[in-house]
Amino acid sequence: MTGDRPIARIVAAVETPYMRHPAEDVTTESLLADAFVRVLASAGLERGLVDGLGVASFTHTPDRAIDLAWKLGIRPRWLMDDGNGGASGIQLLQHAMCAIEAGDATTVVLLSGDHFDRDSFRTLVDNYNRTTAEFLAGIPTGGPNVLFAMLTRKQMEANGLEREDYGRLVVAQRRWAGLNPGAVYRAPLTLEEYLASPVVAEPLHRLDCVPVVSGADALVVSAAGEGVTVRALRALHNHDGQEGDGLQTGIAEFAGGLWEDADAGPEDMDVVSVYDDYPAMALAQLVDLGFVPDGDLGGFLRRRFEDGALPVNTSGGQLSAGQAGAAGGMHGLVEAVTQLLGRADERQVDDARLAVVTGYGMVLYRYGGCANAVVLERS
Amino acid sequence: MSLGLFVCSFCGRAVFPRRLLCPDCGGSEWRREPVETGMLEAATEREVRVGAVRTPLGPLAITRIESGAEPGAEVSLDQDGDTPLAR
Repeated sequence: MTGDRPIARIVAAVETPYMRHPAEDVTTESLLADAFVRVLASAGLERGLVDGLGVASFTHTPDRAIDLAWKLGIRPRWLMDDGNGGASGIQLLQHAMCAIEAGDATTVVLLSGDHFDRDSFRTLVDNYNRTTAEFLAGIPTGGPNVLFAMLTRKQMEANGLEREDYGRLVVAQRRWAGLNPGAVYRAPLTLEEYLASPVVAEPLHRLDCVPVVSGADALVVSAAGEGVTVRALRALHNHDGQEGDGLQTGIAEFAGGLWEDADAGPEDMDVVSVYDDYPAMALAQLVDLGFVPDGDLGGFLRRRFEDGALPVNTSGGQLSAGQAGAAGGMHGLVEAVTQLLGRADERQVDDARLAVVTGYGMVLYRYGGCANAVVLERS
Repeated sequence: MSLGLFVCSFCGRAVFPRRLLCPDCGGSEWRREPVETGMLEAATEREVRVGAVRTPLGPLAITRIESGAEPGAEVSLDQDGDTPLAR
């Protein structure tokens, strides 16, 4: 390795304001373009410097990254589409870093975003993959809620958890959302209100399920400039062939290596973003990362979430900020980078220097098949 | 009245739903193996009752439940096209 090998840094991170009910003229590409313009402005970069583009989206189809490059007026030397939903943000980052360090590009913009109307969302969930279309849509499962309802029940039984235990995480994230003008649900939430929310599929109620929104997220990864560096990045996809209990993700298998690479441990983290498609999965990832060494999940939720002691999903997470399709895979990265850059305004965590971010998702049959994680450092 | 699992023609490994290559031996030929009953491991409801049924050959199938069966009960298995059913 030569001394002049470039170092990739994340120099800007933005999110378009998520919208529960977008205007008629909003489209997936308009959201991606909005994120592109905003992230260049945040980085103070001219469009002409961008020589790499990565895109993650479910609804951008039939267009690809090259269509967007053309319509945005850039001439990339490096181009990538990633369709891996909740893992796509870290996945794009993983590849963009390699591109920069190999000299394939110097200034990469990573975009993710989706716009749904009712019909397109139903079409997406029934045709999420071939297996869903063939074996689940006819039941009808109507999307992943029933699958994660059954996993949540299993986690409750295995760990003696009650709904109010999950409520502590949801209420804590809503408290953070109240400090984030970009979150769609910001009003304070009590545990009583959480428990009283309408049932979706027992034991999941409405406030356990992410609100679907339209929006986009963006990062700039650059060979020049100050920003956030990646101390460690690991991924393991399809770790158990969908033949496990679904409550342990691929993160459990690589967490030891991740922390070793990062020369740090869970308790060194100033900010934590875990992929919160459901509270049970956010909790499962925290366990897999090693945040609950004694295995007492109920005690962990009581001790670390009651007063925001552990800064988890400080944007409000997808549960309060919203899930903009594939942008959910970049949302936690954008929040962690925003915190590390000291730009989180009212919700800024004091002297945030280290963060861990996970990606999870792509339900293959019973649960998510993708898992990745990154440890970030303010440089 | 049965649900067809996918059994590797080479090593006998059962999967559900189908894969392209056998997870164990890499074989690419499958035969359908009907199973008539299984154990309901989990259940919930959204529009219809949905369950996870452990089949006698190992694989877990997500099914519609067309009875009042509760987790822990043995259920009979069937399929409507590709859609697994439990009663």
